[in-house]
Amino acid sequence: MSGVVSASVRVALLGNPNTGKSTLFNRLTGLRQHIANYPGITVERKTGVMIVGAERLDVMDLPGTYSLAASSPDERVVMDALAGRAGDPAPDLIVCVVDATNLKRNLFLVSQCAELGLPMVVALNQWDAATRGGVQIDHALLSQRLGVPVIPTVARSGGGIENLKAAILEARQHPQPATRIPWPEFIHHARERVRGEIERQGTSLSDPEILRLLFDADSTYAKLLPDPTAAGKVLREARESFRHHGLNPGPAEAVLHYRRIDGLLEGVVSGGGSTARTRDSVDAILLHRVWGTLTFLGVMYVVFQSLYAWAGPLMDLIEMGTAWLQETVAPLLADTPMLQSLVTDGIIAGVGGVVIFLPQILILFFCLALLEDSGYLARAAFLMDKLFGWCGLNGKSFVPLISGYACAIPGVMAARTLEDPKARITTILMTPFMSCSARLPVYVLLIGAFIEPAYGPVAAGWTLFLMHFVGAFVALPFAWILNRCFLRIRAQPFILEMPDYRVPALRNVLIRMWERGREFVIRAGTVILAFSVIIWALLYFPRPESVAENVRAAFVAENPTAALDDPAVALQLDHRIEGAYIGQSYLGRFGKAVQPVFDPAGFDWKITVGVLSSFPAREVIIATMGIIYNLGADVDEGSEDLRSILAREKWQSGPRAGRPVYTIPVVLALMVFFALCMQCGATLAVVARELSWRWAAGLFVVMTATAWLAAVLVYQVGSLF
Amino acid sequence: MQKTLGQIRHAAPLEIVAVLGDCVRAGRLAALGFLPGGRIRVSHVAPLGDPISVSFGGQEISVRRSEANLIAIRELD
Repeated sequence: MSGVVSASVRVALLGNPNTGKSTLFNRLTGLRQHIANYPGITVERKTGVMIVGAERLDVMDLPGTYSLAASSPDERVVMDALAGRAGDPAPDLIVCVVDATNLKRNLFLVSQCAELGLPMVVALNQWDAATRGGVQIDHALLSQRLGVPVIPTVARSGGGIENLKAAILEARQHPQPATRIPWPEFIHHARERVRGEIERQGTSLSDPEILRLLFDADSTYAKLLPDPTAAGKVLREARESFRHHGLNPGPAEAVLHYRRIDGLLEGVVSGGGSTARTRDSVDAILLHRVWGTLTFLGVMYVVFQSLYAWAGPLMDLIEMGTAWLQETVAPLLADTPMLQSLVTDGIIAGVGGVVIFLPQILILFFCLALLEDSGYLARAAFLMDKLFGWCGLNGKSFVPLISGYACAIPGVMAARTLEDPKARITTILMTPFMSCSARLPVYVLLIGAFIEPAYGPVAAGWTLFLMHFVGAFVALPFAWILNRCFLRIRAQPFILEMPDYRVPALRNVLIRMWERGREFVIRAGTVILAFSVIIWALLYFPRPESVAENVRAAFVAENPTAALDDPAVALQLDHRIEGAYIGQSYLGRFGKAVQPVFDPAGFDWKITVGVLSSFPAREVIIATMGIIYNLGADVDEGSEDLRSILAREKWQSGPRAGRPVYTIPVVLALMVFFALCMQCGATLAVVARELSWRWAAGLFVVMTATAWLAAVLVYQVGSLF
Repeated sequence: MQKTLGQIRHAAPLEIVAVLGDCVRAGRLAALGFLPGGRIRVSHVAPLGDPISVSFGGQEISVRRSEANLIAIRELD
């Protein structure tokens, strides 16, 4: 490809949500796509390359929107991209995707867009659904009235795509902007007043931008002006003048555009109504108080099961693969133990630690794409909204939060389905509080070793059950506080379209899975790998030979008759040496030094080292405990050896010397600590990717501090009895 | 006292009298087609009483009652 970048033709794809715009984008560009974020906000910026004949066109898939109105930075993305304010020049051509089954509402955006004066082609998508529903659309007449080509398309099956491509090429040669709305005189007058004020302030905005400033309450364009207060006064007066003409300023723009659209559509559309009837009869069940709720629970159960159970075998396979690779590579590097450990325990384990998340991410995004494309996600959000609305979340928070019970990473990524930035940030920050499956081994180990022997299996079952709600119990009030006190952005109204039910197109679903998986590996994977290597180094260094010699000497002194060439004895000795190394590693020393911090929670230095080494990934706690207690890393949560050694562990010194370390209050404090603490580098990396490193750092501090406080509280209160 | 969409609990046909308020939410509702003179109907109420789903012009839009209170309505019978 020797195309000159500056000469490339730029096409913007614009349309309402649920019009099949993204499907059309996939059709036009295939997999020649690139996803990034708009700077400073969480809106995705999708671009692709479309090849028509000999021409190469750059296509931007703008976020789906009902209107060009911009009262938040997220909403302004579309207008900025079209006005050439987003860093790129304005597009050469707009392809407006409209839903043929809901033409009137979709033409509102087209009518708004005509103001930009850019060449336009209208894709009349879902043409098949409209025809099936008995709707007849005279697209030639509509095209004549709009002054631009109107091409019927069926993006799902590819119908009409060639016509659309031809129309795009034609529009390149003979560019035609759409006819504009004939504004009444008082709008012109109001616009000139606003323009006068902008010029008085010594700046300039384009005509369409001035209209946005005039029509949108709290327009973000006011922030572009040197004196927003003075401009605000002029804007208020200009908007108030609408009232003399019988228009409320809030809905004024829509009222005028819809009046015009009624004229445009006269004699264009006839028949129809039957698609709505199928939707109504399905909704009668799926939105029903009882049946709807039951269906919802059933659907969520399947999603959760698929994450929790079906991903399991794949994850086991990846673990086996990682272990196999470690065992295969280790002998090759036996000459240089440091390099061997770095490659096997640092790098291979780190890469394995990235890949291990892929099954859950792919499965969740598969389910989510099905839910979204079928139209069910909007129904689920409708059913659940009230449950979450009070603390600043909304109905769409449910999927990320429930996914968080399997793993926070796909959950955090799934929060992209929330359009409202405020609810989205809150959902992302609450998801890591949900009790993910990596916390389970800790609960199982400690409950099995201490709660069950002391209180029986019923109490053990209840403890396990309740531990799963500790995070959620803390998270919801936090969400409320976050929303009330810290998030200084306006909440968007929760207005949600219930789209028609459709059979999802497998192609789209697979493309979505592929995008998410790739993005995770590339963006978050590198950070996770870096974490893994850093923690490896902290646990490995320093490593003086003298430690091993001292342990060996002590071991021989203790067991004068032991045969050191006996494999079982050698293994026992190796485990002790490993335990000694971890004890004097940088992290081990740090653990001993900060043990006083965890003393109020009843943790000794060994627990402290275990806790600290679990910060990159909480699931390593079991293996680390194995090493610390001289059993080697190869233990699991069911290990009887580990359980009995924990039960026998006694304080070596200090005021509690000689007493058992693991009392019931300590066990409960430790579990609560794990429930609340942010011990997952991968989640932090993903939160940083979705929001920013500042949010990730804040989340880390808040979760860790809360975990410490809660652990101290549990231990101190528990010790009173 | 003007009746608003936020107070409706049944599926009777309604006519929009006005979209109240000079705010972002009013603009958003109007953009979706909630306009004076429009015929609408509350087709579903969520299990916990809020939000409501409103049917009009062949589309189905869910709004919270707090937003629905910006829509002044008249009951048709």
